[in-house]
Amino acid sequence: MTPAFISLRSVSKTYRSDHATVGALREVSLEIEKGGFVRLSGPSGSGKTTLLNIVAGLDRPDQGEVFVSGIDVGRLSGSRASKYRAEQVGMVFQSYNLIPQLTALENVLLPMIALGRANQGRARELLDLVGLADRSDHNPSQLSGGEQQRVAVARALANDPALVLADEPTGNLDDQSAQRVMGLLTRVVREHGKTLLLVTHERDLQTAQTSLELRGGVLMSAPE
Amino acid sequence: MMWVKLTFGGYGRRFVEALAAAIVLAATSATVAASLMVVAGARNTLTRAIHQDRPDVVEVKSRFNRALFETPRSGYLPPLTIPVYEPLIDPAELGTATGDSQVVRRQSLFRNVVNGDSFLNMYVFGIDPDVERGLSSFSLARGRFLRREDRAVAVLDQASARSLGVDIGGTFPVRKADGTDLQLTVVGILDRLELRGAPPRSAEAPSLRPDSTFVSSGAFVNIQTSEDIFGRETLTDALVIARSTSDVPALVAKLQEAFRLEPGIFITERYSQYQRKVRDFALTLTLFSAMSIATLLLAGSFAANLLHDIYVERRRQYATLLALGFPPAMGIAPAVIFGLALGLAAVAIGGLAASAFVPRTFAMPSLMADLGPTEPTIDWVVVCSMVAIAIAAVSVGLASTTVQLLRGPVAATLSEASP
Repeated sequence: MTPAFISLRSVSKTYRSDHATVGALREVSLEIEKGGFVRLSGPSGSGKTTLLNIVAGLDRPDQGEVFVSGIDVGRLSGSRASKYRAEQVGMVFQSYNLIPQLTALENVLLPMIALGRANQGRARELLDLVGLADRSDHNPSQLSGGEQQRVAVARALANDPALVLADEPTGNLDDQSAQRVMGLLTRVVREHGKTLLLVTHERDLQTAQTSLELRGGVLMSAPE
Repeated sequence: MMWVKLTFGGYGRRFVEALAAAIVLAATSATVAASLMVVAGARNTLTRAIHQDRPDVVEVKSRFNRALFETPRSGYLPPLTIPVYEPLIDPAELGTATGDSQVVRRQSLFRNVVNGDSFLNMYVFGIDPDVERGLSSFSLARGRFLRREDRAVAVLDQASARSLGVDIGGTFPVRKADGTDLQLTVVGILDRLELRGAPPRSAEAPSLRPDSTFVSSGAFVNIQTSEDIFGRETLTDALVIARSTSDVPALVAKLQEAFRLEPGIFITERYSQYQRKVRDFALTLTLFSAMSIATLLLAGSFAANLLHDIYVERRRQYATLLALGFPPAMGIAPAVIFGLALGLAAVAIGGLAASAFVPRTFAMPSLMADLGPTEPTIDWVVVCSMVAIAIAAVSVGLASTTVQLLRGPVAATLSEASP
């Protein structure tokens, strides 16, 4: 039996502030096979983004183990976590997180620069893939929200990562743009054989192989 | 190009704050630079005083008294009485009083020299060649300097040699105490000399510096030769070098005790004056350092606060770089480079402004009464202090952002709302 591509074992995460302690994740265990498409939903504050950040190595669990492609993500040092993200993970954020002073092309080039192998040709191909070849010299402020998120999708694929993590990628978009971005994301990920962990509120998303729901930090069965 | 845009681009309205931070830093640097330049100038003045005044040297001098000297034989003028040192210092007594301190013995004489048709007044200095060169400065134009084992040889300055009409290998007579002449052979010609504790110029004589009130020329012989000329071993003056500056008061006390029965011997030191200069320097240092620190704390913290605001706004951008896989050092590099470029440019402008507008000489009579006017100077301490100010302001401004990015989870920064 081959090990799962993503494996979380009894992962817990608690956030403490001066006034309160919030259990973001409670004993979460799950496994995702390589090439899988998992939709993660749940109400606000249920721990979806926390789970995504832990898988991305952007946050550490208080308890439990997180393995991605055999890498113990929860115990990576800062620089190793960066290398892991650059090589294995492509991220799409709800608020795009494009660098505003760089052009679309330069934003797509950023992850490649992180690995020291900038390739303008590939960056242009990716922009072409998301339908923005003619907007490569535009700054984010000159693009619509949908276009910015498509640039972010191209950026997520820049280093050909095995895993794409998308945190409510359509949360800031109108319906038409949201549909287009979601269609693009699922198509591209499927065509390129990536594993996709998608955090979304959209209950009518039917394309996911697996649907999971988090409530109060606890992983529930797939929502109906 | 992309890194330039990443580092310096996209500041928007924060550019005004960056500009304000730079101006405040430049003004702070100018004030601090000007203060430190005054301190550096004061330090140079003190160093020069140590070198020139030699507070570790105690002068022992016989009294200045009038002696009878001839006038030109061919003229109608009567003999003159000219003030010269009296040879009152007993070298043995001096040696006992000074212990293991180094003693620079001298016999400073004045002689009429008749050489052929020429008649000349000339200062003749009997010196210890080796130790004298440690205190006085002699620049040889030709020939060689005196040696300890020399007998009946002299080194002349150019003016005296010209007046006597002699050069290397030439001779001239000096009248000895017994009335006979000693022929001195010239072995070296000096083009410049600085005799420490030189006697006042009391008669017309050839001189390298005619406007000086002190003797700046003469014939230099070793002390054995001057004893031959003078006919005695007692000294006219001597310089005693204390082992350390702090030993001077004790040395002076010993010398005063040793020569208390000889009213014609005077002991002088510059240690007290040096101490007053040191006190002046310490006050200058304290005042201007306090001014620098106060400026730095007030204006520097304001500039650092402005930088902090700029960084907080960019924090999410730096966190995005980390999230995309940039190593921590590379992710924070644009922030560091931006801050250092801004800070260093500001302090460079401040430093240039200070060096352009600070007065060439600075004197605060109430503060620098003994130290005197100083020349504000830029030195490495000033430059390093300027750079340190830039680094400190940027570090303070960047501290919380760096800590949050490198120590805290990147996710927390990414989820921060922009200010």
